[in-house]
Amino acid sequence: MSEAVRPGTVQRLGGYASSWVVGLGQMAAFAGGIVTAIARPPVRFARVVRAVFDAGVLSIALVCGAGFAVGMVLGLQGYTTLVRFGAQESLGAVVGLVLIRELGPVVTGLLVIGRAGSATTAEIGAMVSTQQLDGLRMMSIDPMHFIVMPKALALTFVMPLLSSLFIVFGVFGGYVVGVDLVGLDGGSYMASLENAVEFRDDVLQSLVKALVFGALLGVISTYRGYTSPPHAMGVSRSTTSAVVTASVWLLLTDYVITAFWGV
Amino acid sequence: MRLAFGDRTIFENLSCRFARARITVLMGGSGTGKSTALRMIAGLQRPDSGKVRVAGDDIVGLRESGLQRVRRRLGMLFQDGALLDSMTVLENVGLPLREHTRLGDAEIRDAVHERLAAVGLHDVDSLLPGELSGGMLRRVALARAIIMDPEIVLCDEPFSGLDPPNVERIEALFQELCHDRGLTLIVTSHHMASSLRMSDQIVLLQHGRAVSGAPGQLATRGDPEIKDFLGADGAALARQVASGSAS
Repeated sequence: MSEAVRPGTVQRLGGYASSWVVGLGQMAAFAGGIVTAIARPPVRFARVVRAVFDAGVLSIALVCGAGFAVGMVLGLQGYTTLVRFGAQESLGAVVGLVLIRELGPVVTGLLVIGRAGSATTAEIGAMVSTQQLDGLRMMSIDPMHFIVMPKALALTFVMPLLSSLFIVFGVFGGYVVGVDLVGLDGGSYMASLENAVEFRDDVLQSLVKALVFGALLGVISTYRGYTSPPHAMGVSRSTTSAVVTASVWLLLTDYVITAFWGV
Repeated sequence: MRLAFGDRTIFENLSCRFARARITVLMGGSGTGKSTALRMIAGLQRPDSGKVRVAGDDIVGLRESGLQRVRRRLGMLFQDGALLDSMTVLENVGLPLREHTRLGDAEIRDAVHERLAAVGLHDVDSLLPGELSGGMLRRVALARAIIMDPEIVLCDEPFSGLDPPNVERIEALFQELCHDRGLTLIVTSHHMASSLRMSDQIVLLQHGRAVSGAPGQLATRGDPEIKDFLGADGAALARQVASGSAS
């Protein structure tokens, strides 16, 4: 190719930017399709329950274990920092607030993307490559309604529940370190936690974040699977892309919600 | 109609008709667009230009909801079965009935067993697609394709991976569906003998165009490309079919 017709850096960047915007629009239209499918009969109750089991119940052990470990680390780091200021009695408040406001929804979101989100993308992508979605279309069954909507809905609704479990086990992990290992008073740990946490600013914000993250990763993981190229490498790339895209969007959205809620 | 994928032209001015209540076999070498032609009839692939008429209606401009109405008159057997791998055979074959009728569990089970028996399968209700052989999988998919008694059945390589007794069983089933029940069958196949035996019409796809005729007629045409495709054995078999002595 001659120098005259080779696209310049600015043109290439423009090309990337416009294709990114087009992709974003397509994903938004796809999300609209999911919302429309929710409102359309028949109700796919059994398929939603099955998807909740796959995405939620099978993630419980991972989320609880991770929550406990993160809580223990927070307890240890929090104690060594607070003790410098003689404020070690506030350990319960520090562990609880950090978990409820940030780490609960964010780390649970990242764990669910890695476990259930990637599985969702890979499953739908494999269905594309083996023509299972076309098979459904030929039976006059809309794959958006039968496959995509139940999975996206399940991911949306399991996130607040899993995030709450993560927080409870995190608080327990912090308690084990602070009270059983370091020797703080158990009553002080729980009292400082109870006094510091407010429903609207902390608990409600946490639940809203988890719900929004769940909706985000539900849309992204199903969209990437649905638009996956119909071959093994395409499914693999879509799965990786789903995890990366959902993780980045989750962290950006976390900042936006935190900023708008008021810290 | 015309269809191209990038620089590769699949169909150029392709025009062909498929007769009602007849078996038409689409033949042609690999990559000539046999499966793509079926997907276009099913509305799963749109042409770049031209029309695709199914029972008189042009389906090219239809939205998904319009296509769903057309597809209720169609059944399709995909090359790899396209069964839902999270569902058992009973659930897969009974799925269209569960979605589009008010039949109860027992009636659905009976209808599924009837169709499975027609393709030579018994006691496979609880098996998952991953537990079936290739031939069984294709027969289960065929049972699903005909469970709603469609007017038109599209079959992509139905004989691939089947042993001779099952090829004959499926051939007989096709004949029964077409000639006794009045279904229109459009079948792609590389299986020369069965294609020539069972078809009422053969459509040969070559270089993006279609040549069609009765099985016996094709062999007697002077077209060198048709002779090349059929080969000496195929031409002899076609002449036998035409004279009614093929086994």
